[in-house]
Amino acid sequence: METQQETCINESLYDVLVIGAGIAGEESALKLADMGYRVLLVEKEPSIGGKMILLSKVFPTLDCAACITTPKVSETARHPNITILTLTEVEEIVRDNKNRFSVTLKKKPRYVVEKDCTGCQECEKACPAIVNDQFQFNLTARKAVYIPFTIANPRVALIDINNCLLCGACEKACPSNCIDFSQTEEQLKITAKSVIVSTGFKLFDPIQIERYGFGRYKNVITSMQMERQLAPTRPFNNILRPSDGKVPDKIAYIFCTGSRDHTVGNPICSQVCCMYSTKQAQLLMGALPMADVSLYYINIRAFGKGFDEFYEQAKDMGAKYVKGKIASITEKENGNLILRYEDIATGKVTEKEHDLVVLSVGILANPGITRVFKKERLETDALNYIRQTDLLQSPAITSIEGVFAAGTATAPMDIPDTIMSAGAAATETSSYLVRLS
Amino acid sequence: MEVKQKTIDIIKQTRKAAPEAFEARKLYLKMRKAIAEALKDEAKTIPQVAEATNIPIGEATYYMMAMLKFGELSVNGIDDMDEYYFYQLTKQ
Repeated sequence: METQQETCINESLYDVLVIGAGIAGEESALKLADMGYRVLLVEKEPSIGGKMILLSKVFPTLDCAACITTPKVSETARHPNITILTLTEVEEIVRDNKNRFSVTLKKKPRYVVEKDCTGCQECEKACPAIVNDQFQFNLTARKAVYIPFTIANPRVALIDINNCLLCGACEKACPSNCIDFSQTEEQLKITAKSVIVSTGFKLFDPIQIERYGFGRYKNVITSMQMERQLAPTRPFNNILRPSDGKVPDKIAYIFCTGSRDHTVGNPICSQVCCMYSTKQAQLLMGALPMADVSLYYINIRAFGKGFDEFYEQAKDMGAKYVKGKIASITEKENGNLILRYEDIATGKVTEKEHDLVVLSVGILANPGITRVFKKERLETDALNYIRQTDLLQSPAITSIEGVFAAGTATAPMDIPDTIMSAGAAATETSSYLVRLS
Repeated sequence: MEVKQKTIDIIKQTRKAAPEAFEARKLYLKMRKAIAEALKDEAKTIPQVAEATNIPIGEATYYMMAMLKFGELSVNGIDDMDEYYFYQLTKQ
């Protein structure tokens, strides 16, 4: 571990740079910070917490996701050994002649002085600009100055300058005078002895599967849009279909949308879709007791602890699992959707009408980070996930010495596996730092 | 408290607001006015508002949900078929 003296001399020297502040990045950062290492946690989004902070509940326990994430987020934000940079991207990482990583960061302006913002949202009330709310997956609108979502951390406003009317209303309304349009993009240089890559995953964009009509039919939504509708910080007052605000009665899930599908370039199982759809089905049946929920699947993969029991529980609650891949979806005039599929149980091509269709989208690699490593190559596998050079013995080790990977940056996985992976990355990093010293 | 100089003028020297942002604002104002007019006397469902305003139902849903989020509308019960919620203006 670095001596206190050296840390004091050089404020930009960190033991570990963690890239990505989702659940994996937070877990790694916390474990290392608890060991006494100085950690810089960099996140490109305005809030830490990653995708988990946006979820409603988790499977198979149906625990409230926010109740698990928020304490971890707060602990990360308040830990004395962790420095957090949000709205910041890593531009370049080069190993220097002292076997450390010289890192260039790009910090985008928030146009709000973070330390002064109280999160009162007076600026939001004053702002006249209306924009699609990307944190609610475009189901509703937000203002140009906004707090991303209710439990965002830091709970600080930011200004979407590309959609700002530059009227200055927010600045006039701000009681703490923290709006600052003079902020500009900053380039920061830091040095880190090791790096953890926890850049997570991307969700499959179902617009690529034309026959499902996503983007054309308003009542075909993604599982993440449904997840937001089920969350306490949801975009609507209830679960409604986007075309006309009707409380849906017959809801269909289409599994393996963009996973286990060679035609879209993602032949592997995303590992979480069966279970998150099953979870959503249970939550829907709780929220809408009269609703009929049908789940169209290829195979059910309920491999984890308590997963199969969770699947059986959904069936007992009344969820209808139908084995058959959907061939096409067509829209009726009233917004209802006709699903055409081969029912494997009967061997017949069948059509069924639903008023809302949820696409259980798969997970894709998010390999952009590999481009920032100069002189050395952060290798990826055939599907663009970070290659684990010794998968069985040390899954966190990558092709670059001193650079470790955590969570879904290496492969699709669920939350418990992500936590374990992040723990492994923290342990490997700690061991490396001891060897280095 | 020390009065800070307004910074909006600084950024105006280097950039202009996007025309699309003004268009989006104009459209929202137009929709909000029509929706508020339709809800002036009584609470209505989204299809009823769409019919009264001639706004396509999908757009009416989006803008009414935005107004709900911004606190301009509130929910006032559900219809007899438990299909559509009634919305009312929070202030006249």
